[in-house]
Amino acid sequence: MPDAPYWPFLVYATLVLTVAGGILVLSSLLGPRHQERVTGEPYESGVPPTATARLRLSVKFFLIAILFVIFDLELVFLFAWAIAIHELGWPGFWGMVVFVFILAAALVYEWRMGSLDWTERSAQARLRERREAFAKRQQENAAP
Amino acid sequence: MTAADFQALLPFMCVAAAAVIVMLVISFYRNQTLSAILTLAGLLVALASLPIAWSHAPRAIPPLLRVDSFALVHLALLLVGTVAVTVFSQRYLEKYRMERGEFYILLLLSALGALILAAADHFVAFFLGLELLSVSLYVMVGYIFVKEKALEAAVKYLFLAGLTSALLLFGLALIYAALGSMEFSALAAAVAGAPDGLSPFLVAGMLLVFAGAAFKLSVVPFHLWTPDIYQGAPAPVTAFLATVSKGCVVAVLLRFFAPLDPASQTGLFSALAAVAGASMIVGNLLALLQDNLKRILAYSSIAHFGYILVAFLAGGENGPAAATFYLVTYFAATLIAFGVIGYLSPTDQEADTVADYRGLFWRRPGSAALLSIAIFSLLGLPLTAGFMGKFFLVAAGAAAGLWPLLIILTVSATLGIFYYLRIIIAMYSGEGRKSEGRTADAPFAPTSATVLVLLAVLLIVIGIAPEPLLAFIQAATTLAP
Repeated sequence: MPDAPYWPFLVYATLVLTVAGGILVLSSLLGPRHQERVTGEPYESGVPPTATARLRLSVKFFLIAILFVIFDLELVFLFAWAIAIHELGWPGFWGMVVFVFILAAALVYEWRMGSLDWTERSAQARLRERREAFAKRQQENAAP
Repeated sequence: MTAADFQALLPFMCVAAAAVIVMLVISFYRNQTLSAILTLAGLLVALASLPIAWSHAPRAIPPLLRVDSFALVHLALLLVGTVAVTVFSQRYLEKYRMERGEFYILLLLSALGALILAAADHFVAFFLGLELLSVSLYVMVGYIFVKEKALEAAVKYLFLAGLTSALLLFGLALIYAALGSMEFSALAAAVAGAPDGLSPFLVAGMLLVFAGAAFKLSVVPFHLWTPDIYQGAPAPVTAFLATVSKGCVVAVLLRFFAPLDPASQTGLFSALAAVAGASMIVGNLLALLQDNLKRILAYSSIAHFGYILVAFLAGGENGPAAATFYLVTYFAATLIAFGVIGYLSPTDQEADTVADYRGLFWRRPGSAALLSIAIFSLLGLPLTAGFMGKFFLVAAGAAAGLWPLLIILTVSATLGIFYYLRIIIAMYSGEGRKSEGRTADAPFAPTSATVLVLLAVLLIVIGIAPEPLLAFIQAATTLAP
């Protein structure tokens, strides 16, 4: 490993720096410089933008996406086990049973926490309630 | 895996099972006391299973872990630390009426990461343990999210710990490139096979791994996060950060560097010596400038891990034992300090400025006495465990001839008197009027009072009669070269 020639690495590093630096320098030299009233506005095919891009999206989608990613990632391990099932034998099976049990426990926790409810009373609402309860308690403490 | 393997792994399995059980229980029945009791039960069962694991030691669980007497001593230390943190957390979290059960899951997982680190014999286990420890800690640092400092601390910790994980992984990749193996034993073999010097890949890799570990130990120049995060995190979490999350890294570093001979690796070891010296000086000097108790303890912990690195550099037979012994004394004193701070903190803000402790002795003599014992031990006064810890460190360093570092240790430890005694003076001055300091009035819960008093008694007993503990640690921590 230490005997491998170093020059390809140097060539590569030089190329990286040249290309990245070149793009930055060229675009600053050749790029548009004018600053008009609508320069900074987003381009929407010639139609003037009508509203702010900061929409309110339901946090629900985000939560579901996260949960999906977590469980999807974990399930990948099941495929790895399935390929080697004969080699691993019963110890592998029991190992997987423990693994799936822990996953199931996580799912139970998630379900009981209300992460899977698609209703008004979301986790966010609970969080808000908790914050309010805390603030109220603070006031009570401060009062006497 | 045989039955003996399972018995050797019992402490790990108990902690892991406790985490799953607590999670299932809080899904159906939320009760903070119950969660705390289950957590404590899991940790105590894990402690009780240590003798069973001991009867099978030393046992390698190929390829990841190695359960030997060295690992078991550190396991016991880490578990005891986690028990104390659990007890402190219970009351602390009760003050904030939030959903709190999850805290114990995170604590157990974090502790499991620490245990894995203490027994790691493979880079995969090293990284796995470190990540398990850190990822849970990100959340624990920001757990009381209604306090603004807590979120700030959590975000800082997240970024910096993410960066160091990247450094560590790069180091592991370099070591793998040089060795073609991820086992610590392969590293030892490579070192033994090349007495005149290692390949630059290997040295660079080991330096990067050390940088990753140094972040956790918060030694200079990786110390910048420490004061802010100590200050922002809830006091019990700070106790965990200062003890368990550092102790396990010392364990893994001792094992990782055990095969190296300082004489033949001058480059690597002079870098470590520079880190140790800088930590002692910077930690002690910057602590002088602080007015906040948590920040003082943060800077002094930087210095303490500089001291431990001296034992670490000394190596040989005495090094690991001296470092482990020092860890025991540091754990007990730090746990008391942060436990008391957590107790005295009112809900709106932590009682953490030195001014808050003015006249504490006249208002709350018990707390003041406990805090004084902890501070005397951190300072290293005779008749406390801290003195014995420093004594064995210096003895190990002197045996290895590390004179420049020992001079720095002695001089900088003297500086400690100034900032530690400021706290003591504040506690015993004043007249005890309630307006003098901002501390909570609530009495100590019996569980925590017991833990705090036991730790304080331990500090004094070790300070007076250190031989049994030292002999035990020396016998247990001899690492095969």
